[in-house]
Amino acid sequence: MSATTTEAGATTIAAISSPPGPALRGIVRISGPGTADVLGRALVGSDASSWEHTARGVFPARFDDGIGTQPALVFWMPGPHSYTREDVAELHLPGAPPLLDAALARVLELGAAAAAPGEFTRRAFLNGRIDLTRAEGVLELVQATNESERRAAMHLLEGGLDRRMAGLRDALDDLRGLCEASLDFDESDTGHVPEAELSAWMDAIGARLDEALAWEVARQPANALPRILLFGAPNAGKSTLFNALAPEGRALVSDLSGTTRDALAVCIEVAGSPCLLLDTPGLDPDALRVAGPDASAQRLAERERGGADLILWLVAADGTPEARRTEAAALAALPSATRVLRVWSKGDLGARPADDDGRIETAVPAQGPASGLEALHAAIANALGLEGASDAPGAPAAGLQRELFARHRDALVSARREVACAAREIACGTSLDLVAETLRGASHALDRITGRTGAEDLLDRIFARFCIGK
Amino acid sequence: MRDTPDPVRPERRHPHPSPDARQRADAAFDVVVVGGGHAGVEAALAAARLGARVALCTFRLDLIGEMSCNPAIGGLGKGQLAREIDALGGAMGRAIDATGIQFRMLNTAKGHAVQAPRAQADRHRYREEITRIVRAADGVELFAGGVRGLSIEDGVVRGVFLQDGALLAAPAVVLTTGTFLRAVMHTGETRESGGRVGEASCDGLSGELLRLGLPLGRLKTGTPPRLASEGIAWDRLDEQRGDAQPSPFSFATELQSFPRLPQIACHVTYTNERCHEIIRANIHRAPMYAGRIDGVGPRYCPSVEDKVMRFQDRDRHQIFLEPEGLDTDVVYVNGLSTSLPGEIQEAFLREVEGLEHARFLRHGYAVEYDFVQPAALDPTLHVRAVRGLFLAGQINGTSGYEEAGAQGLVAGANAALWGRDAAPFVLERHEAYIGVLVDDLVVSNPTEPYRMFSSRAEYRLMLRQDDADRRLTPLAHAIGLATDEALDRLRRRERDIAAWRARLDAVRTQGEGSTTLTHRLRRPDMGIDDLIAEHAAELEGTARAEDVKRTVEADVKYAGYVDRQRGEVARMRRQESTPIPSDVDFAALTGLRGEAREKLAALRPSTLGAASRIAGVNPPDVALLAVHLERARRAR
Repeated sequence: MSATTTEAGATTIAAISSPPGPALRGIVRISGPGTADVLGRALVGSDASSWEHTARGVFPARFDDGIGTQPALVFWMPGPHSYTREDVAELHLPGAPPLLDAALARVLELGAAAAAPGEFTRRAFLNGRIDLTRAEGVLELVQATNESERRAAMHLLEGGLDRRMAGLRDALDDLRGLCEASLDFDESDTGHVPEAELSAWMDAIGARLDEALAWEVARQPANALPRILLFGAPNAGKSTLFNALAPEGRALVSDLSGTTRDALAVCIEVAGSPCLLLDTPGLDPDALRVAGPDASAQRLAERERGGADLILWLVAADGTPEARRTEAAALAALPSATRVLRVWSKGDLGARPADDDGRIETAVPAQGPASGLEALHAAIANALGLEGASDAPGAPAAGLQRELFARHRDALVSARREVACAAREIACGTSLDLVAETLRGASHALDRITGRTGAEDLLDRIFARFCIGK
Repeated sequence: MRDTPDPVRPERRHPHPSPDARQRADAAFDVVVVGGGHAGVEAALAAARLGARVALCTFRLDLIGEMSCNPAIGGLGKGQLAREIDALGGAMGRAIDATGIQFRMLNTAKGHAVQAPRAQADRHRYREEITRIVRAADGVELFAGGVRGLSIEDGVVRGVFLQDGALLAAPAVVLTTGTFLRAVMHTGETRESGGRVGEASCDGLSGELLRLGLPLGRLKTGTPPRLASEGIAWDRLDEQRGDAQPSPFSFATELQSFPRLPQIACHVTYTNERCHEIIRANIHRAPMYAGRIDGVGPRYCPSVEDKVMRFQDRDRHQIFLEPEGLDTDVVYVNGLSTSLPGEIQEAFLREVEGLEHARFLRHGYAVEYDFVQPAALDPTLHVRAVRGLFLAGQINGTSGYEEAGAQGLVAGANAALWGRDAAPFVLERHEAYIGVLVDDLVVSNPTEPYRMFSSRAEYRLMLRQDDADRRLTPLAHAIGLATDEALDRLRRRERDIAAWRARLDAVRTQGEGSTTLTHRLRRPDMGIDDLIAEHAAELEGTARAEDVKRTVEADVKYAGYVDRQRGEVARMRRQESTPIPSDVDFAALTGLRGEAREKLAALRPSTLGAASRIAGVNPPDVALLAVHLERARRAR
C-alpha cells in the first residue's frame, strides 16, 4: 500500500485522470481534505470565491499554474457524496500535455501528493463509498479477480506455459530443498549436496527459464491494453458513440465537422476487461494536403489506426458512397491482424447499405435502445477475443491476459537473473547461505506468476487495474 | 553496522486484562512455574529478572535442568536459539560454557548465517550448574513434588494445588510439563506409563487441560540407547574432536577461563546393510515407525527405523558415540533413536563396527505424549481461553532444549510483564529465531514435534548467531531482562566493530585497481584473517577478538544481501504488523472462503502476517481481511 494511503483521510492526492497523450481536454482529479484549500489557492476568476458554499456543482474559473492561467471547468464534489467519499474536485483543462503537467505540478506544490495507480478507487473502496448492500458484490469481485486471473492464466497457458511453469517451479523447489537440506544437516550424511550437483541443477533450471521466456516472448508481442479505435467520416457520429461507450463521456460532441481534432482516449471496460477507446478525427484526405494542425491530426490518426486492435468503422446512413470507398481503402492498408467492425450509425437518416466490404465482420446499430449498445459491447468482446463476455462471467479477458503476459515476462526475467546469479555465486565460492538467498529471490519472482504474493501486492494490483485517476 | 533503520516494532497488547492490585496482593507469588526442565528454568529466571516473585514447582529438585535426551546444547538452528536465549539474559549459554566437554562451530563452510555452535555437555554437571543458577536467583522459590491441578475460577487462574492439597496462589501460571502429559513409553511391544524412565506422568493435568477446552494433540518422540563405554572398541573408530579454538555460547563468558572442563573426543561409526536388514525384518515391531516412505522430505528423521525405510538407497547411516560426561561410563548413541524391541536393538547394534561387544545400559524407547495445540496460544504464549495461564516447551508440541528454553523465556517474561500491566515482549520474525519459533507455533497444528531449522527463518541472513547480542540485548535491557553489564559489553563490542569498519573503508589497496579493504573483504575467497595477513600495518590496532572479527567479516560480506532482506521486511512490515483485533468475528466477514474462515476462526492469528502464513488461507483471503480491517479501523 502506498504511503499516501496509509494516512488516507489525512492526505490529499491528485493525478491526471485523463488518458495520456494529447487530447482536447485533460482532467486533473484531486481528492482529500485539502482539496478545497488547493482550489482556493490555485483558482482565479469571478466565480472562484463562491464555489465552496455550493453543495456540488460545476463552474468556470481560471487555473493559475504558476506561470500563467488556463481556462478551467471545475467540477466540485464535496465528500461524502463523491467517488472517494472525500472532497473531490476535477479540473477540466486544455488537453495539451505540458499544460496538464504544469497544472498537476502546481496542485502537488500546493500540498497534494501524487496518487498511486488506482488510489482513487482504493480510497473509494476503503472509505466505504461502496455501501453495505454492494459490499458483498465488490468483495466477490476482489476475490473473483484473483480467481479469474488464475483461470485466465490457465487458459492462456494452454499448450505450454502452465506445464512449463509447474515443471520450473518443481525444479526450483527441489533445488532449494537440496540447498536447505545441505544447510540444515551438517553432521548427518543425509543432507549434504556437492556443489557440482547444485551447479548442474542451476544450469538446467536456467535453460528451462530461457525456454519459457522465449516461448512467452514469441507468443505475445504487445503488452498494452487492447486499443479500440473509432473510425469514420467526419461527423459520422464517432463522438456520440465514444460518449455512449465511455461511461464518463468526455468527447465534446458537436454538429460541426471536425470537432475532434486530436486523438481522444479513454479507458473503458468491455466484458470486464479494460480497453483503451480512441476517438480520432474523421478521415479527411484533403486535410493532409494542407500543412497545419488538421494535417498533423490526420497523420496522428493514421498512426493510431495502425496500432489499433479493433477498428469500429462508423458508417453513417447519410454518408456518401465515395467516402465509404475512401475509408475502405484506408482500412485495407491496415495490418491483417487488425479487426474491423462496421457500425451503422444515424439509421434514422437513411437506408442501410449492403454489407459488401470484405473485412467487415459484423454490423450493429450504434444507436437506438440500450440493447443496441449491449449488442455492440458483445460484438467488440467477440472481435477482441474477450470471449464469454455475457455468458461466462470471470472468463479470461484479453486485457487481463496482456497484463498477465507482461507480468509473466517480468517474473521470468527476474527469476532467470537470480538463477544465473546463483550459478555465478556457486562458481566463485560464495557461501551456500547466500546462494540460497539468491535462489529464494528466484522463487519469489516465480511466485508472482503463480499468484503466491502478499496481500498488499495483490491489493495494489487489483486497484491498479482501474485506470489512474478513476 | 546498521545502515538502514530497523522496521518499527508493532505495538501489541496482552490478550487479557492484567490482574488487579488485590489479586496481586493476596497471592504469595506473581508467577508459578510448573516444571523444572529447560522451559521451566528459563521461565522462572526470566520472570524473576523482571522482578516477579516466582515459585518453581517440579517433581524432583535434583533433576532441575536435566537433559532428558541428548547431552548436548546447540546444533543447526538450535545453536542460534541458544545464543539468543543468552542475549536475552537466559541461563542456557552460561551453563553449557561452564559444563561443556566438546565445543564445535558447525557449518562454518556454508556461511555465517547458517553456522551454529554445538557443545557436548557433562550431563550431571550441566544439571548441577543450572540448579546452582536457579537457587542463586533472587526471587525464585523452589517447591518439590507434583502439582495436583490448577486453581481456576471463571476462566481466571488463581494458582496451582500441590500434591498435599495446598494452594500456591498466583495470578499467572506457566505450565512447562514437557512430555509428562499422559505419557506412554514404548520399547517394541512393551508400553509403560511415564515421561522419562523412572519418573511419573502427570495425568491429572492432562484431563484438566482438556476440561478447560484446550485442544490437545498427541506426538511421539524417541530416544536412542545408552551404552557402557567399556565395551566399545574405541581404537577402531574415527575420532571427532572439538574445535581447536572453541567459541563459547554466552556473550558473558570470559575466554581466559574457557572451556572450563577438560575436552573430550566423540567417535563416529556407521550402520551397515546387515543392520538395515535386521531393522527391515522387524519394522512391524517398531511403534515409532511412521510408515510414511515419501513423507515430508529429508528434513526430519527421528528414528533409525525411519532412516532405513526412507532412504532405501543408502547403505549406511552415521552414528555418533557421545560420552555423557567426564566421570561417567554412559555413552549416548546419537543418530540412532529407536523404539524397536530391546533384543532387536541389541541384535542390530552388534553388527556395527566397534559395537560388537557393547553393553546396553538402557534401550532406546519412544515416548508418546499429549501436547496442547499451540494455536490456542497468543504470541506471548498466554492461553487465549484462560486468563493467567501460559504454556511453554514440549507441551506446545516442540522438540529440543533450545526450543523449550526459548519458549520458557518468552512465557516467563510475559507472565511477569502481564502481571504488572507492562507491554508484552514479542520478537518479530526478522529479529530472532525465537520470533520465528513463536510465530510459527501459534498458527500451527503440529503433526510432528516442531524443531528449529535455519530454513524456517526467511530472514535468516539477518539472524546470525554471532550478532544475537546486537539484535536482542538492547531490547532485553530496555525491559530489564538483560543486565547493564550485558549492555556495556555489547557497547564495547560495537565500538570495536565500528572501528574495524571505519578502517576497512579508509584503507585502500595499492597498485592497479585500487579498492577499499571493505571491497576486498567482500570477495568470496577472502577472509578477515587473510586481510590481516595482507595488510598487517594498515590494520594495526583493530580489535583481534575472534567474535569481533567474525562479526565484521559477516557484516561486510552480507551487507548487500541483508539490505535486500531489509527492504523485503520493510515491504512486508505493514502487513506483518497489522494487528487483527482479538474480537474480530471471522464468521461475519463477507467474502472469505469457507476453509479460510474456519482456519482463521480456529487459529486466531494476531497479525495479518501470521494470517498469511496459515495453510489454507490464500492471498485473496488475506487481502479481504486487510480491507475489512482497514475499513473497520476507519469506521472507529
